[in-house]
Parts: sequence; structure tokens; C-alpha cells
Amino acid sequence: MSDWTTTDRDLEDVLVGLAKRFAMALILIFALFPVYWMFVVSLRPREEAVSTNPSLLLDSFYVENYVLMWQRFPLVDYFINSLIIAFATTALALFVASLAAYSFTRFSFAGKGKFGGAILGTQMIPGVLILLPMYLLFINIQTNVGLPMVNTYHGVIFVYTTFAIPFAIWMLRGYFANIPASLEDAARVDGCTRFQALIRIVLPLAAPGIAATGMFVFLTAFNEVLFASVLASSDVTPFAIGIQRFETQTQTYWGQMMAASTVATIPLIAIFVLFQKPIVDGLTSGSVKE
Amino acid sequence: MPADEKTRYAYKLLLPAAVMMAIVHFLPILWGMIISIMQIDATFVSRWYSAPFVGLENYARLLDFDSTVGSRFWFSLRQTTIFAIGTVVGSYSLGLASAVILDSDFRGSNVARILVLLPWISPAVVVLLVWRMMLLSDTGVVNNVLLSAGIIGEPIVWLIGANSIYSMILVNVWINFPWATIMLYAALKSIPGHLYEAARIDGAGRWGQFRHITLPQLKPISVVISLLLVLWSFINFTVPYVLLGQSPTRSGEVSMLFIYNYAFHNYAFGLGAAMSVVLFLFAMGIALVYYKYAVSGSFEGEGR
Repeated sequence: MSDWTTTDRDLEDVLVGLAKRFAMALILIFALFPVYWMFVVSLRPREEAVSTNPSLLLDSFYVENYVLMWQRFPLVDYFINSLIIAFATTALALFVASLAAYSFTRFSFAGKGKFGGAILGTQMIPGVLILLPMYLLFINIQTNVGLPMVNTYHGVIFVYTTFAIPFAIWMLRGYFANIPASLEDAARVDGCTRFQALIRIVLPLAAPGIAATGMFVFLTAFNEVLFASVLASSDVTPFAIGIQRFETQTQTYWGQMMAASTVATIPLIAIFVLFQKPIVDGLTSGSVKE
Repeated sequence: MPADEKTRYAYKLLLPAAVMMAIVHFLPILWGMIISIMQIDATFVSRWYSAPFVGLENYARLLDFDSTVGSRFWFSLRQTTIFAIGTVVGSYSLGLASAVILDSDFRGSNVARILVLLPWISPAVVVLLVWRMMLLSDTGVVNNVLLSAGIIGEPIVWLIGANSIYSMILVNVWINFPWATIMLYAALKSIPGHLYEAARIDGAGRWGQFRHITLPQLKPISVVISLLLVLWSFINFTVPYVLLGQSPTRSGEVSMLFIYNYAFHNYAFGLGAAMSVVLFLFAMGIALVYYKYAVSGSFEGEGR
């Protein structure tokens, strides 16, 4: 190959490399600007937050937003409600989905294909189709059985848990498939029952995948607004509904709303950055065949 | 362990998930179908079973394009379709572009890979409110930047009127493209290097390699990604509900939002259920057509 061609190639490589970086920079600006802007506005006083000619830089440090936001309405309660609901949902959904995903990857049985189809099928059910009967069911249980269901933690948690299960099974599948069956067999030779081997050997080995799945279950439960707006009001109002109350009929407290948003977002970003490897692996291993 | 005992064990482990899904997913669908042929309004909420059966009257009202609810429902279905198509096209293209760039392993690509996922990790309600603030026509930063860069002459009204559907697509793409990126990135990493080598020996350039190796290898995962994105957009409630706020305009009123507002404001649960059933059948129809023509085999591996 002549020198001329080589230089040509090199030049092309450099140009393509530059174009790629430029495109990546644009994509990152698009991806990150709203998160950055949330933080910037959270530190601006009211008049600057609604300015018609805002500065794009972080030039204000009005930390009062982070103090005042708690006083407008029971924001602490909204946070606590969301944490209770999301953590309980995560724990329950992970347990139930782990058993199912394990069974699904380890054994073959009649109706397996149908079960897989049902999992995919749940992804196309419009929430309102379930919400209407669920609402009627909850009202009827309350009036006829006497067990309160609407505006209770257990009502919301039960619904959320079930919603999370199909996607959790889908994600966990890939993880369980990578754990060799020989490890369980060895444990069973040592006198474990099948279920003990599952709990003591398989689940700990799948822990990174379970944790990654857990993050997505948590996010789903934390962000849900459709069922929350109907089934979780008054004492159990979650953050996702409560935060919208910074926008009133007459004006919106953007600075305080962004401060509350920042408080909700930073822990999630921190957890993600710390544990991004198992999270990303867990997200992709279920669907990409090695 | 004998085979049937193994099977029984497998069923036992599946049982809790199956029972819960039956109660929350599948019974309500059946129940919803029953409600959709009943006339349930405010008086029958706490004793739904005594509401009168009206046969297919609710569906007839929906199919009557001249009635208010009928025409609005079909319009909402049209907007939903635009929303879903816009989301899948935008998220997939942007996701593919980012995945291909990240795959070339430049300096800092590890950091970029983490950063690009942040929109998907951040709580959806929170980022939707941030976008709502950014897209305000008078004080929003998006209009402000576009105006001072000279790209537009006067402020665009993003959240009200005809543009609201495009704003929803923009924001939904922003939320979902990171997921497409990471799925495609993982798939790119799993393409064996010798395929590219063979193509290079055959004289394929950059574009040729992308066209003849990368795209075909990405097909199975692309089918899954686009199907899930379409379905998720079809039944998305959070984006229109939070982004458009209390009084959404017609253009942004996708079916989920329309059904919700109509059923709960008018206590028209029967009609609401009928609309939900139609929406469900629509989504299922898309999935089936997709399954038949595009998937053909790539779901076979489900469950291994």
C-alpha cells in the first residue's frame, strides 16, 4: 500500500473521529442540560426563575429554596410515603419475580411459552383499562368487606408490585441463566433442599442482577402517577403527585419545585453512578444474547 | 429427581407471580370488558354489579364519529399513533447514533456512557416538570436560547395548541433514547470482530461495514426495542399528564389522558372501559402484526 493511501486513511480517521466527538458532545448537551438546569433554577430566587432573559450560568446561590420548600405543604410526608411505597414494592416484587425468573430459566414445563407471551402481553395493557375495575374493586372491598383499600399503603403497594413483576422477570432471566446449575447440584449433595439451594446459593450469586432490577422497580414505583392520582390521595400522597402542587392556580414556585426535584434526583444519580456496572449489565443481559 | 416432581416445583415457584398477575392484569381486563357493556355512572360506583347491561351501546357511541365523544376519542387515537411513531423513530435513531459513537471507544467514552444514561435514571415526574418549565413560551429557556441564537423570530408556544404533541414527542425521546442507546451498545459489543475483518478483506469501507455487518446483526434487538417503545408510548400516561398540566389542549390529548379525564370527570366508567378496551385491542393488534412480519423467530429464544 502506498504512502499516499495511508495518509488519506489517516486523515479520514481523524475527521471521522472529530465528527464523532462533536456529535457526542451535542448528544450529551441534549441529555444533560435539563438536569443541569434543574439544579441552576433550584438556586434562583423567584423573580430570576421566571426571568424572560435568564442567564445560562450557575450564577445564583439562593439556598432559601431548599429551606422554604418544606413549609408550603407536607413535602416531608410525600417523600416518606414515596419511600415506603417504593421500598416495599421493590422488596416484594424482587422476591416474587426472582422465584418466577429462576423457575423460568431453569426448568421446561408445559405452558412456558404461554407464560412468556403473557409477560410480553402485560406490556401492552393500558393502565386505564385496569384502573377502572381496580377502582371499583377497591370501593367494593371497602363497602362490603370493611377493609380499607383506597388511600392505603397496602392497596397501592399490591398494585405496584404486580405491575413491576413482568419487567423484573424479563430482566432477571438473563442473570439466572448465567449461573451454572452445577453449583446447586453440589449444594444439594451436601444436604440442602432444592429451595434452600435456591435461597442460599443462587440468589446471592444473582445479587448484582437483582440489585440492578431493584433500581428499576424502585424507579417505576417512585414515578407512577396514574394509579396514585386515584388510589393514593390524602395521607398516602406520594412525591410524584405532591410535587405538582408547587404549581398553583395563580403562580408556580419553580425555584422550590426544582429544589425538591434536586433532592429527589441526586440520591438516584449517586446510586446509579456508584453501581452503574451491574445496573447496565442487568439491563442488557436479559435481551442481548452473548 | 423425577421429571413430574421437577415440573411441580417449577410451577410452585411461578405460582405467586402468576396469581398476582392474574389478579391485577388479567382479571381486570375481563372485568373491564364486562364493565364496558354496562352503564356505570356515579350512582353505581359502590354497587357496580347492579348497573344495567346496555350491550354494545357504549361501543356504538364510540364508533359514531359524529358524536362528541366518538370524534374526540378517534382523534386522541390518531394523536397517540403520532406520539408512538415519533417516539420510536426519534429514540431509536438517536440511540443508534450514540451507541455507534460510544462503541468506538474514544478517550472519555466510559464517562460519556454513564452520563448519557442520566435522563433515564432521573425520576420521570421530576424531569417532566423541568421540561415543562423549560418549554414555557414566555420565560422558558428553550425559547430564550432559540431566540437569542436567531433560529426563531418569535417565541414558539410549545405546550398549548398544535405544538403540544411535538413537545411530548421531544420529551419522550429525551427520556427513552438512553435506554435504546444502552441496549444497542451492548448488542454492538457482542458482534464478533471477525465479521468486520472479513468485510474489510472484501474491501468494505466504513459505510459498507455498517450497512452489511452492523445493521443486520442489530436486527433482533432492534425489533425488541422498537416494539417495546411503541407499546410503552401507546399506554404512556405520565408524559402527557405531567408535561401538559391541568388543562391539556386537544392536540396533546392522547388516548390514555382522554379516557382518564373523560371517565373520572363524568363518572362514565362504562364508556371509559369501552374506550380502554379499544385502545388495548389497538396495541395488541400492532404487537401481533409486528410479531408476524418483523419478529419472525427472534422471540423464539425467550426463556431459552
